[in-house]
Amino acid sequence: MIDFPLLVQNLPQMLTGLLATLGLSAVALLIGFLIAVGVCTLRLAPQPMLRRLGGAYITVFRGIPLLIQLLFIYNFLPRMGLGVSPIVAAVTGLSLCAGAYIAEILRGGFLTLSPGQAESSKMLGLRGWTIMRRIQIPQVVRLTSPALVNEVILLIKASSLVSVVGVAELTRVSQNIAASTFLQLQFYFAAAVLYCIVNVTLALLGSLLEARMGRVRI
Amino acid sequence: MLNKSNTRALCIGLLASLFSISVCADALDEVKEKGELVVGTEMQFAPFDFLEKGKQTGLNADIFKVVGEEMGVEVRFLDLPWASVLPGLSAKNFDLVGGPLIVTKERKKRYRFLTPIAEATVALLKRAGDDSITAPEDIAGKEIGAGQGSAQLRALEDYTKTLNTPVEIKGFVDNNQAYAALAVGRIDAVANSLPNIGYVAKQRPNTFEVVQPPFGEPAYFSYMGRNDEDSRALLDAISSIISEMKADGRLAELQEKWLGQSMDTPTGDFEPAM
Repeated sequence: MIDFPLLVQNLPQMLTGLLATLGLSAVALLIGFLIAVGVCTLRLAPQPMLRRLGGAYITVFRGIPLLIQLLFIYNFLPRMGLGVSPIVAAVTGLSLCAGAYIAEILRGGFLTLSPGQAESSKMLGLRGWTIMRRIQIPQVVRLTSPALVNEVILLIKASSLVSVVGVAELTRVSQNIAASTFLQLQFYFAAAVLYCIVNVTLALLGSLLEARMGRVRI
Repeated sequence: MLNKSNTRALCIGLLASLFSISVCADALDEVKEKGELVVGTEMQFAPFDFLEKGKQTGLNADIFKVVGEEMGVEVRFLDLPWASVLPGLSAKNFDLVGGPLIVTKERKKRYRFLTPIAEATVALLKRAGDDSITAPEDIAGKEIGAGQGSAQLRALEDYTKTLNTPVEIKGFVDNNQAYAALAVGRIDAVANSLPNIGYVAKQRPNTFEVVQPPFGEPAYFSYMGRNDEDSRALLDAISSIISEMKADGRLAELQEKWLGQSMDTPTGDFEPAM
């Protein structure tokens, strides 16, 4: 049923694809996190205008399917004189989308903290930035870590969509091999196994991290 | 030290490295200047474009090797899912489409085709040993698959109108999904161009078999580019290299290598049947 010699022969290709998947996801996660911090700050700002601006970002980049965002970035921007390379288009699409989701996760974390904490910290003479850094952020990270790990796994799987802009990641490479060998199932199965290995590892790291940080009592 | 104009130059340089700024030069000049011709294609269209031991191979690779040599440029293939290929061509993400595509009246209105490289007449692929289909008309009342939005699917639709019992046509995202569905018995046959299904049947003779003769009108495969002033000189140049290869027998040799036989294709402009 499974043609092992062919599988072994094509495995290096698939691993290169997996590396592309991981690299893209890592860069997109990093940029997406930075975007998220900015957008979350806007969403929690005291000024209604800023809050609306943050809300608009989330409406657009969470509301439009990633596939359509990618096609738009790759095939529409060049018409306006902004030809982007496949890899830039892929990273841009993934980061913008991840930014929207992570911003909401972080906002959820901040909203869980009781306002009393900040007030009492202020009474004790701590400054705004110190309160954020020493009191709030450590709690938010702990509170949101299950959701963040979830998002990372979702991002890795969502990265399979970037083949529409011509980036050969794991899914695309597997499809190409499946199509060229006419052995569809075994290569899709192999891709599924590789994705699973990565995501199970991430989930394990997530639980280890949680155990290490301990529980938060609000 | 960075003065104002240096800073500006640096900024422009950075921008240019991020975005390939399109200037108003002819596509042929641009290709020559960059030393690179970019072909958008789908690496899932054996025997034209597919992978062997992880490397691109097929008729397209061989033809464009000659094209690249004669033009003195490198040829880079950009692998895209088929649905993304035509929008990418319009967006100028690459210079022309590998494919190849069947020359049809509709496509001819919007795009520019080069000299055809192979016959593309549509035929049926069935499961090996399926005695219920021995001629094209036997598909009456059965379920037949083809690539969604493909010219082959349209040829199938046209043909089934001539049958007394209706045929249920299923569109697939790509032909390989259709082959997979045929192999597991979800459909009874796949309609695609003879070179493609001929190759599939040759690779997996225990699973697939071609139903002879083809049912469609004569059709031809060709590479395709944008139908604008900008692309004209570039496409003329490539087209004339392919015509040359056709005239001196190099194309026939490659057809024999990949398609199993040499083929008679139109040389000049022609009116497609579809």
